[in-house]
Amino acid sequence: MAAAAGRGGVLWRQAASWLRATRAAVAAPSGARAASGLTKDQLPGPYPRTAEERAAAAKKYNMRVEDYQPYPDDGFGYGDYPMLPNKSLHERDPWYQWDQPDVRRNWGEPMHWDFDMYIRNRVDTSPTPVPWHTMRNHFLIFLGTMLVMFALGEIYPSYRPVGPKQYPFNDLYLEKGGDPNKEPPVVTHYKI
Amino acid sequence: MGAHLARRYGGGADTEPDPLAMPTFPVDLGLPEREPRTMVATAQQLSDGRVPLAQRDFCAHHLLRLMRCRRDAFPSLWQCQHLRHQWDSCEHQDYVMRMKEFERERRLLQRQKRIREREAAVAAE
Repeated sequence: MAAAAGRGGVLWRQAASWLRATRAAVAAPSGARAASGLTKDQLPGPYPRTAEERAAAAKKYNMRVEDYQPYPDDGFGYGDYPMLPNKSLHERDPWYQWDQPDVRRNWGEPMHWDFDMYIRNRVDTSPTPVPWHTMRNHFLIFLGTMLVMFALGEIYPSYRPVGPKQYPFNDLYLEKGGDPNKEPPVVTHYKI
Repeated sequence: MGAHLARRYGGGADTEPDPLAMPTFPVDLGLPEREPRTMVATAQQLSDGRVPLAQRDFCAHHLLRLMRCRRDAFPSLWQCQHLRHQWDSCEHQDYVMRMKEFERERRLLQRQKRIREREAAVAAE
């Protein structure tokens, strides 16, 4: 180590150039920029009033003018952000080669307002395999039957044809917490 | 198993006893000189042996002997089978007594019904 450093730092220079080359190979393409690098006209703006504003907003969000539909202007602050269908990422094709496979999205695709809710760890809007009313009816029939049967079991309990079990010491008066100062009610059991 | 339930809930409740409201007849009706059941173990012994309340019945003296044998013979608990059998057969006789009590109650209810119907037939004439 001391000898290599003494020969002018050749190894260090080699390592630095190798590192620079490796980093350049995986660097972002020249067209990429950070989110902090957006200009004012690339950010979301106010609700579009005229047709030209709609066209400009659609182009800004990488959408066709026919597809672009902003949220209604009723004071909730959506501005010109597009209103996309409320479908979660579960419904997107799992086998297509998305640019970002974990969120099933291609580069430049407009993101839903509630994108973070519709990721695959959270809300799932996939259609149910069985129609909703069929599921509801099956569940209500099952629940109703169970409640009716339990209620019948409470009204008409089942028991063996035997008398109650007999305990000594006045039905265990003291053992069950009876007052030792009071006289217990006398209970006598007989042989049969 | 279900005959008494069918009779009780199916319209024969005047001759089927309700186990929650037994006995409804005097204890010595039809059984004169009836002896009370004797309890062999004392309440203090049962308390010292920490016997669960549900098992402090008229067979508890057999259970105390069984518990002592199991404590002494641990871990070869199979040595106490003789005492276990004695406790089990005492519990069996206790259950048979419960069945007899139920049947006595049922027959007395049927007799009561017969008397009532006979008196009603006499009064109707």
